[in-house]
Amino acid sequence: MTSKSVGDALAGFERQITQDRVDAYAEASGDHNPIHLDESYASTTQFGTRIAHGMLSLALVTEMLATNFPNTWHAGGKLKVRFSAPVFPGETVVTYGEVTAINESEDGLIATCTIGCKKPDGTDAVAGRATVPLE
Amino acid sequence: MADPLISTAVVGHEFGPYDVTIPTERANAYAAAVGGDESPDYGDSLAPIMVVAAALTELIEDLGLFSGGLQTVHAGQEVSWARQVKIGEKVDAVGKLAANSVRRGNHFATVSVSYKDSTGEEIGTSSTTIIVSGEAS
Repeated sequence: MTSKSVGDALAGFERQITQDRVDAYAEASGDHNPIHLDESYASTTQFGTRIAHGMLSLALVTEMLATNFPNTWHAGGKLKVRFSAPVFPGETVVTYGEVTAINESEDGLIATCTIGCKKPDGTDAVAGRATVPLE
Repeated sequence: MADPLISTAVVGHEFGPYDVTIPTERANAYAAAVGGDESPDYGDSLAPIMVVAAALTELIEDLGLFSGGLQTVHAGQEVSWARQVKIGEKVDAVGKLAANSVRRGNHFATVSVSYKDSTGEEIGTSSTTIIVSGEAS
């Protein structure tokens, strides 16, 4: 049983977003946009260099949710996030979350969490909210 | 060059259905991209966000956002999921343009997607908001 209370921090983790990870994510998702893969193309964009897929950063956040809510995140979980800043290959990001409310619904207890993924300078790459059924 | 679909599509425009069945090799690539020591063991199941990403790639292509000169920003994402999906399990995704507006020369589009299994049961939904600049207008 996953016991959570309001104010509990979710166990997060660090991950270095290497270009190898970005390349692997392109294979996984099918998104081969050159802004993620081709440095010469990416140097002509507003970012000036390659950036990781935003969905890769979000995938890390969902890994955190799956770790903290192993039996319920994939069966009734919801999230809503904004992508606030790009992650550049080589940067290490940190996922984070906190339980901000627990409410009763007709399906049982639902935890509401702030969630996100921070860049090395402390700014959010991804930030938002998730709701997850509790066991 | 023809205008990308995002320039002409109206709210309610439907996309797909897309077959977003994820084979083993793509699941392995996902693990290589995302995984780490603390990652959960999914066994023969997938992280649902991977199915969402596969559908998003199809949507971006259909919207013409890989066209040269366009700068696309993935601004927001919503996901809800009812159950886990197995590697190789057939999943179809159907999208619908929920919003499409132009402000200060930038397109703001939101596409909602429904994911159904082989029985036709909805197993997840998502909503993606993108901002596109660089269109000729």
